[in-house]
Amino acid sequence: MKLSDKEQLEKTIAQTRDLLEHLENDEIEDAQELIDTLARDGDEDLFIEIGKLTRRLHEALNSFQLDSRITDIAASEIPNAKDRLNYVIERTEEAANKTMDKVEQCNQLADVIAKDSEDLLSEWQKLYRRELEPGDFRKLCKRIESHLEKNKDSATDLHAKLSDVLLAQDYQDLTGQVIRQVITLVQDVEDSMVHVIKMFGNMDGYAAAQNEQKVTKGAEGPVVNKEKRDDVVSGQDEVDDLLSSLGF
Amino acid sequence: MKILVVDDFSTMRRIIKNLLRDLGFTNTHEADDGSTALPLLQTGNFDFLITDWNMPGMQGIDLLKAVRADEKLKTIPVLMVTAESKREQIIEAAQAGVNGYIVKPFTAATLNEKLSKIFERIEG
Repeated sequence: MKLSDKEQLEKTIAQTRDLLEHLENDEIEDAQELIDTLARDGDEDLFIEIGKLTRRLHEALNSFQLDSRITDIAASEIPNAKDRLNYVIERTEEAANKTMDKVEQCNQLADVIAKDSEDLLSEWQKLYRRELEPGDFRKLCKRIESHLEKNKDSATDLHAKLSDVLLAQDYQDLTGQVIRQVITLVQDVEDSMVHVIKMFGNMDGYAAAQNEQKVTKGAEGPVVNKEKRDDVVSGQDEVDDLLSSLGF
Repeated sequence: MKILVVDDFSTMRRIIKNLLRDLGFTNTHEADDGSTALPLLQTGNFDFLITDWNMPGMQGIDLLKAVRADEKLKTIPVLMVTAESKREQIIEAAQAGVNGYIVKPFTAATLNEKLSKIFERIEG
């Protein structure tokens, strides 16, 4: 048990008196033993002091590391994350446009095939109704032949364009990786901030803020955690219900 | 039928224009926010307005209010196509005089259904 300064002083005075007494009485062995005890007591205090210093040094080093981590995050990782997220916007926009280009071209091809087939079909039905002149039949055969040839090419073309659409989806992999990196950074920032709050702020306030329901005003874009919110609709059906309840 | 599509994302404008074309509406024009849309509306003789809500510059809800406050434009049908899904916002749009409200992501069938409903009401 650690003695108070006053107790320590009294103890040391008593020990010194005992030591003098031993020396005056020529009790050398007893004196030696007492000197050893005094020396040991001194060591113990020294160790306690060293222990305290070590802890303070450790804390100082820790907070220094934290400082350099925050500096690093602010100086390079956040600007880097902005670049990464811009990359995501660019890649997704590029993929969307590429996909829509190809889909529009496919639609045009499909429209042409549908129109040509419809025209041919009405000619073909004339044949059944015996409305074709003998010369017309030869023309119809020619048209059917060229239609089939054109369709064969269109099908190859459609296949190639659909493969391009398929390939354009590679943005998912690339942007997914980049977004995951940014999520890790956000996690690091959160950890650093919580550490700072622990060292300099109050954890009660932090805990209270965690439980707070945040209310946003005005436009906020897509709501990603709809199941956790009761102020948003879950889909078009709920929009329709709400509007009809308002008399729409 | 001359239609103005207002959205800050060109991909979304393109999706809506494509769906409209499939429904037979080919006379479509674009603007990227309310402040560019409003002068177009005032001079362009548009018959229909489709707008997003959340845009930089002038937001869709403010465009809707400006349209309803404009003597020349106030009867133009307005369809909102937006990711904004708070009940409070849908009510605000309804009170501001919106004719239809579609939440993103949406389907071609939903767009078709809301458009026909709006036209039915106008013609009926």
